Amino acid sequence: MGETASSEVTRVAAATSSQDPEVGLAAVAALRGLVEVLEAVQVQNARGKGWSWQAIAARLGVTKQAVHKKYAGRRFGFGRERG
Amino acid sequence: MTRRSVQVRRVLELAAEEAGLLGHRYVGPEHVVLGVLRDGTGGAARVLRGRGVDLEAARAALRRLAERGVVPGPRPSDAELLGTLGIDLDAVRRNAEQAFGAQALGRAIGEATRARRGGVGRVPRTPLRGPPVFWVQATYHAEVQAKALGREQVGSELLLLGVVVDAQTPWPRCMSNRWNRRLRASVGLPDGYQGVAGPLLGALGVDLDELRGALLAEFQQAVR
Repeated sequence: MGETASSEVTRVAAATSSQDPEVGLAAVAALRGLVEVLEAVQVQNARGKGWSWQAIAARLGVTKQAVHKKYAGRRFGFGRERG
Repeated sequence: MTRRSVQVRRVLELAAEEAGLLGHRYVGPEHVVLGVLRDGTGGAARVLRGRGVDLEAARAALRRLAERGVVPGPRPSDAELLGTLGIDLDAVRRNAEQAFGAQALGRAIGEATRARRGGVGRVPRTPLRGPPVFWVQATYHAEVQAKALGREQVGSELLLLGVVVDAQTPWPRCMSNRWNRRLRASVGLPDGYQGVAGPLLGALGVDLDELRGALLAEFQQAVR
């Protein structure tokens, strides 16, 4: 990113504290985007290591149906024991 | 299958850079116009310059459109937003890539942002992936034009021609499904956004039909 605009944006970010909903809510949305990917990569890894849906769900603090509905399917290597 | 020339790929990279400079968190056809001008080489930039359009003028015109609310004004980047929470986005990405590999991370990004009928807990986009691009219609039209002209490769003239055709054509209905509307809202775009390359070129005093003809002429000349 070039200097002119990055300073422009930093000024916007600095001028508005996170008490400003505009920044605060956007920050939370960005965080959610991060969390969803990290969850997916961890579930994928756990399934690859042979973990059951039940065990994964227990660690995530949700029901096994919830995590199964969200991630089950043969796509993207979420199945147990690939190859 | 048409391919994109090295120059077109460079123009699209520059378009993303120009979007970042304006504090836009998406890349649209209007940024492709800036990318063409920033690149400066090739027939497309020559045609634009011939109509008195330069990079600074185009940037200023897009800023004025932002002031009028046609496109969003500068917004903090995801890295800056996460920084307000004390999270280092680069460190998160680095750690995840080191632990699981870039390929697994890419799969997880696809999984987390994939639109689904069941729609459980999905997000329209993630900070781990670059800004969403809305120039896909423009490159599609460029490819159609290339095919019609019997060319294998899309060069910068055809890319800009694609942008012009895109500006004159309404987006297909699949572009305004609930998922895409959510994605556009998440980067601050108004509901009816269909790219603002048309208004941008209009503000710069360029007539779209005339530009279309000029680009085709330039292209024929380049072929010969």
